[in-house]
Amino acid sequence: MKPEHKEWIMQEVVKRVLSDKIAKTSKMPLETIIHDTIYHEKKRLEQEKRTKRTFQEAQYWKKIHKKMLSGSEEEKKSLIQEIILRFSHEIVGNFNPKVYSFSTKILPIGLSILLNTISPGVLFSHFPKLPDVSDRLIIQGEIELIQALQHLGTIILVPNHNSNMDSIAMGLAIHKIQLPPFIYGAGLNLFTNSIISYFMNNLGAYKVDRKKSASLYKDTLKEYATCTLECGYHNLFFPGGTRSRSGEIEEHIKLGLLGTGIKAYINNLQKGKEKPNIFIVPCTISYQLVLEAEHLIEDYLKATGKSRYIIEDDEFSKVRRILNFLTSILQLDSRICIRFCPAMDLFGNRVDKQGISYDKRGRVVDISRYTWVNGKVAHDPQRDMQYTKELAEQIKKSYYKNNVIMSTHLVAFVVFQLLKKHYPEMDLYRLLRTVKEDDLPLREVYESMEKILARIKKMVANGDICIDDHIKNLSVDAICDEALQHFRIYHSKVVLLRKGDRLYPQDPDLLFYYSNRLKKYDLEKGMEG
Amino acid sequence: MQSYHSVGVVGGGSWGTTLAHLLGKNGNRVLLWLRDEESYQDIKNNHRNRKHTYEIALSEKICPTMDLEEVGKSCEIIVIAIPSSNFRQVTYLLGNHVKADQIVISACKGLEPQTHYSMTEIIREETCVKKIGVLSGPNLFQEILKGSPSAGVIASEYQEVIKKAEEIFSSSFYKIYGSNDLVGVELGGVMKNVVAIASGIADGLGFGNNTKALVLTRGISEMVKVGLKLGASPWTFNGLSGLGDMLVTCSSPLSRNYRVGYYLAQGQKLPQILEEMKAVAEGVNTAKVLHEYCRANQIDLPIMEGVYQILYENKPISHVLSELMNRLAHLEMDTNLLQTASSME
Repeated sequence: MKPEHKEWIMQEVVKRVLSDKIAKTSKMPLETIIHDTIYHEKKRLEQEKRTKRTFQEAQYWKKIHKKMLSGSEEEKKSLIQEIILRFSHEIVGNFNPKVYSFSTKILPIGLSILLNTISPGVLFSHFPKLPDVSDRLIIQGEIELIQALQHLGTIILVPNHNSNMDSIAMGLAIHKIQLPPFIYGAGLNLFTNSIISYFMNNLGAYKVDRKKSASLYKDTLKEYATCTLECGYHNLFFPGGTRSRSGEIEEHIKLGLLGTGIKAYINNLQKGKEKPNIFIVPCTISYQLVLEAEHLIEDYLKATGKSRYIIEDDEFSKVRRILNFLTSILQLDSRICIRFCPAMDLFGNRVDKQGISYDKRGRVVDISRYTWVNGKVAHDPQRDMQYTKELAEQIKKSYYKNNVIMSTHLVAFVVFQLLKKHYPEMDLYRLLRTVKEDDLPLREVYESMEKILARIKKMVANGDICIDDHIKNLSVDAICDEALQHFRIYHSKVVLLRKGDRLYPQDPDLLFYYSNRLKKYDLEKGMEG
Repeated sequence: MQSYHSVGVVGGGSWGTTLAHLLGKNGNRVLLWLRDEESYQDIKNNHRNRKHTYEIALSEKICPTMDLEEVGKSCEIIVIAIPSSNFRQVTYLLGNHVKADQIVISACKGLEPQTHYSMTEIIREETCVKKIGVLSGPNLFQEILKGSPSAGVIASEYQEVIKKAEEIFSSSFYKIYGSNDLVGVELGGVMKNVVAIASGIADGLGFGNNTKALVLTRGISEMVKVGLKLGASPWTFNGLSGLGDMLVTCSSPLSRNYRVGYYLAQGQKLPQILEEMKAVAEGVNTAKVLHEYCRANQIDLPIMEGVYQILYENKPISHVLSELMNRLAHLEMDTNLLQTASSME
């Protein structure tokens, strides 16, 4: 980020958040805002481990409280400003484009060297070439479109979120297709792993502390994103907010951060910027194996509503586990598919390489008019929130259409559906406990896979879903073999085991997790016909 | 920046003409688009549309036009009052002229037969407009033209649409209420037409008030079932576009859908009834769409299914009636429905 931009952004964030807060709480005393922030911060600190840092933070809030009690209205305003500035400093990363460029080049090599030290087998299997993790990335979709749009406005990339590896995979993909750096908000928990933290800091991440629930913090975060967009920095948001626990494609999209796009666009128009447009590019990330699958599904299966929003102690926090994951990927020639979906404007209209928007009937749309209020460009929070809701719906549809089916998803789905058929009366929890003892004849699995594949191929032709290029022409037994290999090697338990001509589910939870990637397509109906 | 000087109404049938009159009486300059040359000349020269609204003198603020482009370019708010069968075609043509800042409101209470789409979904597909609304409620055009106090409901996800529609429609004899439940309001207006056919049948058979109450209350219950499935609020169906519209449509011989049911019970055949009726009875088409939708989604709607069987399967009314009355009695309030409804609160 250019120093002049950084300075402007900091000033602007403080100014805007302060005036918005004062306007929204005009009938309440200023101390309500401070009180609310102190309350939430204290609550957060109570739940954290006691360290020197938390002690200092607690002292800081005590000091603010004291100042607030004796301060005049003007002084209270200054206190709010001070808090916003403090939050802003916490958020702004040390992102440096030069370091970014270096990091993206060094990341695959660095990881490869690490892998070779722990797995000579991997080294020899690729000899004399060094195994390269980034070779396992399959990048497809609207690459030329996104390359063209980067020069015509600001891009917001919105991938679905499976794993903490997503940030790294996206960083590599962005670099591989020669896009400029993107900045993005990453949870503090991503910085706990020392190796990954180094790269996170330099892949453009700014820090988001999701435990901070004070509205002043959230507003500061959103305004920071808005200002970076106005300065023309391409952003990456994970609109699902958190990793999919169940393995499904995101059903719920958070509107807060996504809504910054429209705000920045209106500000751009009002300032008469030369390139005011902001483009939304949804993106799907599909893994054959997901690093943290065991923890994620375990969390999902806990009583509804009690799953944790932030998991700090999963596979991602263990360096050896990450290396094990990467080794497995290399050993199995496993693929991570990143698919850039068709770009859209902030109102969900399709956008072409010239940055022009089109309605569903292919007519050009002057999108600036969406922002008019009585003929003038203006903010209208209710309207803009509705636009964002509708955009979120379009993003969801795009995810479903561009979801790339991998062998593990397909096999898990078919096997899980067949097992479900054996126990039609059971609820999910009983089913997961029961099917451990069950088994299936391979022939039955192959037959069902044939039916589902035929259905999927029709859907692919209609543009309703995508399939991994590697498996689309494979026979069902070859697809099944590939999936079984994956299920055998990485996870702590074998997910699905073949003995002779029968399949034995060893870890039904994970089977359920991988099968969920194909949920909501009504594919199970295809198994009947 | 563009300035708009008129309110547009697309469709010169009885309902479109009535809405144009209502808007004109309220001091708005109204551009009324219609395809029919005879009606166009009648309004232009005589301020009447005798083909659809009898001898009633229409507001002089109505300017008839046969040019859809003029409507698209001059009106910030455009109300479409076209039967569902032609709705898409006309909306597509309008879509060639409207821009992203304009407001389009549907005043049609029907569903598209081929796609099962609602009219607001069609607007979303055929134009670039996002600020979309629906106007519904217990509005018999004859009574509005007479100036009897009436009310309607405007639903939209955009507050601006509700506010602006209130400004142009509200008058001393027509009150507008706002709602954010676009799906519920639209469905209420659509589905009550099928219940109106059932109600007409009951009256045509000479049944009394008990039967009428049975048809209306169970009819609403069926509307709620579909509404919940599609994301509507159950409470909307107790409002103007649900219960309100149903009370009018299910008891007034002025309602076309009611008349279809009444004449069927009198022994007339459907083609004959429709031929003699000048305007479209949307309930006939809606019964078919609902039948297909509910079969695909396994929703049980006994009254609406009964109407479908009478209309499309030539099933004798007496058989349908007997099947309805011999169904196993269930709890009046479906517990699953109650749970879904309470989860929405």
